[in-house]
Amino acid sequence: MRKEELTFWEQIYIPQIYEGLKVTARHFFKNMKGHIARLLGKPVKDDETVTIQYPEERRPLSPRLRSLHRLVKRADGTPRCVACMMCETICPARCIYIVAAEHPNPDIEKRPARFDIDLGKCVFCGYCVEACPEDAIRMDTGILEFAAYTRQDMIYTMERLLANEPMKITSQGQRL
Amino acid sequence: MDLAIEVIKVVVVLFGVLNLAGLLTWVERKQSAVMQDRIGANRASILGIRAFGLFHPLADAAKLILKEDFIPEGGNKVLHTLAPFASLFFALLAFAAIPFGNILILDGKEINLQIANLNVGILYIFAMMSMGVYGVVLAGWSSNNKYSLLGGLRASSQMISYEITMGVSIMGIIMVYNSLDLQEIVRRQGELLWGFIPKWGVITQPLACLLFMTAIIAETKRIPFDLPEGESEIIGYFTEYSGMKFGMFFMTDFVETVLAAALMTTLFFGGWQIPYVHGNSLTIVILQVLAFTLKVIFFCWFFMLIRWTLPRFRYDQLMRLGWKMMLPLSLANIFVTGLVILLWN
Amino acid sequence: MPTLTIDGKEITVEKGTTIIQAAEKLGIEIPRYCYHPGLSIAGNCRMCLVEIEKSPKLQISCYTQAADGMVVHTTSEKVKAVRRAILEFLLINHPVDCPVCDQAGECWLQIYYMEHGLYNSRFMENKVRKHFKATPIGPWVNLDSERCILCSRCVRFTSEITKTYELALVNRGDHSEITIFPGKELNNKYSGNVVDICPVGALTDRDFRFQCRVWYLDKQESICPGCSRGCNIEIHYNVQRAHHAGGRRVLRLKPRFNPEVNKWWICDEGRYGYKFIDDKSRIQMPYLQEGEVLVETDWKVVLDKVASTLRSILTTYGTESIGVIASPQLTNEDLYLIRKLFVEDLRLPHVDFKVPVKEKGYEDDFLIKADKNPNTRGAEELGLGAKEGSLNVENMLEAAIAGRLKALYVFGHDLTNFFGEEKIKDIASRLELLVFQGSNLNPTGQYAHVILPSATYAEKDGTFTNFEGRVQRIYKAVEPLGESLPDWEIIVKLARFMGFSYPYQSAREIFKEIATVIPAFNGLSYKVIGNQGAKLATA
Repeated sequence: MRKEELTFWEQIYIPQIYEGLKVTARHFFKNMKGHIARLLGKPVKDDETVTIQYPEERRPLSPRLRSLHRLVKRADGTPRCVACMMCETICPARCIYIVAAEHPNPDIEKRPARFDIDLGKCVFCGYCVEACPEDAIRMDTGILEFAAYTRQDMIYTMERLLANEPMKITSQGQRL
Repeated sequence: MDLAIEVIKVVVVLFGVLNLAGLLTWVERKQSAVMQDRIGANRASILGIRAFGLFHPLADAAKLILKEDFIPEGGNKVLHTLAPFASLFFALLAFAAIPFGNILILDGKEINLQIANLNVGILYIFAMMSMGVYGVVLAGWSSNNKYSLLGGLRASSQMISYEITMGVSIMGIIMVYNSLDLQEIVRRQGELLWGFIPKWGVITQPLACLLFMTAIIAETKRIPFDLPEGESEIIGYFTEYSGMKFGMFFMTDFVETVLAAALMTTLFFGGWQIPYVHGNSLTIVILQVLAFTLKVIFFCWFFMLIRWTLPRFRYDQLMRLGWKMMLPLSLANIFVTGLVILLWN
Repeated sequence: MPTLTIDGKEITVEKGTTIIQAAEKLGIEIPRYCYHPGLSIAGNCRMCLVEIEKSPKLQISCYTQAADGMVVHTTSEKVKAVRRAILEFLLINHPVDCPVCDQAGECWLQIYYMEHGLYNSRFMENKVRKHFKATPIGPWVNLDSERCILCSRCVRFTSEITKTYELALVNRGDHSEITIFPGKELNNKYSGNVVDICPVGALTDRDFRFQCRVWYLDKQESICPGCSRGCNIEIHYNVQRAHHAGGRRVLRLKPRFNPEVNKWWICDEGRYGYKFIDDKSRIQMPYLQEGEVLVETDWKVVLDKVASTLRSILTTYGTESIGVIASPQLTNEDLYLIRKLFVEDLRLPHVDFKVPVKEKGYEDDFLIKADKNPNTRGAEELGLGAKEGSLNVENMLEAAIAGRLKALYVFGHDLTNFFGEEKIKDIASRLELLVFQGSNLNPTGQYAHVILPSATYAEKDGTFTNFEGRVQRIYKAVEPLGESLPDWEIIVKLARFMGFSYPYQSAREIFKEIATVIPAFNGLSYKVIGNQGAKLATA
């Protein structure tokens, strides 16, 4: 690789250091101003102190965001899922485990006896939602924190998935 | 009575320096965050009060104290334990010769706001700083780790190289102010040049100021001269240290930063002098002490700014800069200074 | 011999051949629902309509016979439009409940819709509800008449093949539906076949219901071990997604077409006789009797125990003191190695394989044979039956009671079934060594001193010889469960412990030797047998 020839001015190095310090110092003072303004409850410009104080402050979520799964319920609270295995089949991570059983109503016929999603394996591609012919699985809970201490806790059973609720949507179409 | 005053001075300086060093760990994180459009450490809390992350140094201290104190197998236990103490001890000792205020006259009694009024103050400080090399070399050697040893060697060769420039660059100051006594140098900086410009070191010796600042950053082993430590990627001399012994090296780092800031202030920025303000009354002396503190804090901030702006040197660049550029320049500075003084008088 | 042209290809066929058959010979598949080569022609689904030049209307290819000079088009625009229209008609009252339908994935409505349909539904009205929704109509079959397209294959099957006449088409127009005669049940011996021939999900398998999606299944060709007919089957198994069907691997058997043996059919007994493969009774580890109980151990221990005990009995009491009961459930390859080790190398006189059964098995003139073993003929051809001067199974047991027999090696048989549990228990206590080598634990195994776990037919390669001397291949579908091994492999290992070195690495190598050593098998090889079987030289 050919080395770029440095001019005399650049070789002195000091002006370059000065330029560098100017940039970092400018950021320092701009952000400092923003921090103090924020502390005093004054409005802050967009390019100052952009960091969001995560657990307390949250970025508005897009309505299209894929978050933790939930199983949609019928009016009687049972899962809408009919255990057709479409999601299990399409899942590229093979993290869905369904076992089918007979539904007492012959017009429904089939129900899941077990519906587990192993979030330790899930890649959040959303194919399961796309594949579902019954609109029985959705990824609209807005829940993004589901870290657990054991692998077992990462497995969401049917009961846990049914308990998840969809997130609320603001008038601007943003999720809270 | 005299003894009590001396003890109070020592306590005040130690208290100030150690607290400032502790605070610097917080400043380092916070300032870098602000410079990089981040927020920085702010999670440690006591009773729900976060205080902008000011409790992080406390949490760090608690963590370091509670951590296992580890001495590697085959390491020299005595030296391994001695090394961090030596480092911190000599760094703290250097503060003794730094004047943080004018001579205060209280009830007709003269109180020199300097722990030890040495007429060879500069030499004493350089001696103490040179002793710091022992801590580093001992740490590397006693760890029974090849990489630590190499880190220690890197550190000592760097420190020795830059000490020369540091010493030579300061010669100009000594020549201009005609003294080795730091209190005297500061006092002489209160004079005015041509009747209106404060005769600060930076005005009379601008090149020496630049050289000294570079050398002292190298001496404190901070970016862009942090090759001996290179915490993030290179293995340095304190690899085998843990717990509070590591904490002491860590603290030495910040104490040396404060020392560097204090030296910069004292030698080139008028020490405790406030331009155009003179006198020995209590109010003025307190203002002067404050001025000194502010100057020191400014330089701490400035060193941090440099530390978070510049990339690290390569080792050959470091050596070339020290020996082939800074040393000749500082020697030339002495020559020019001598010539100017000769012509001036 | 008429010569006709189909899609530009010329072919000469036998007189009486229909267009659909002629096209099949050319490799052209004409879509069909009601046509089945094994049944009479109904011609009611209209899916197989083709364009014949000089004929004013499209003709059904399943019924129209090939004539000389005929020019047939199976993919013209006209034909395509008609197929789409017919699919639209057939799907008008179809519930399209594919998500819950077991047929999904092998449903000809789905397949042809994707190939020939692909229209958007225009049907806005309510679909006609019918009487049978997920209703069992027999021990093995479920009926959903809403999914039915009224092809009448199942009706024709019950009237032409089984002649049991359980099913009929009733009502008119869009209320037409398949029904079962009042008070009747679809419980003939071949009822499972209606599920296979049903092109849609109207008739589904109760045994397979909701067990697994069909696209999860892998397939392997095999031979039904249920009787000496040796019906050709496909083993459908699921090993990729073990959580289905409670971890069972083999989930269903399907008949495989073989014109010489079973045509398109198999009996229900064979179809549902696969459950022992993943049964709880499977022996997964070698066991050794210690005191009163059987203790799990490893192969080295049991083989060493069997070999050393047999050796000491041989030296102390001679060859007359050991009996071997081979099994006609084993493959020719397994039996050949039993013959090689026990008859040829150890020179044991008392080897037999025929264990008497309590009552004669059911037999009919279609497929089911009374002999419920798949390889009786093979065992006979390999000379494993009791000969002149040697003891048969009954006499061996008598000899054991009398103390003349010291060791008995049983392959898979449950002797208690015929001889009674008390007698076997008594014999076991008198014998110095009772070895049981089998895949599933039975009462005989429980009294054994040593249990050697063997693989089932779905877990090994080999051949069976059916009652008429047809040698047919079985293929390994799934891995042997647990520590179990194919019987021939166990014999090879045992032989090594007995001091004989057998060089066989696979069943194929053993069969090569059989073909040269046993005259009846001369000229046969796995290649010759293929997937349709080949007859013995003597048959």
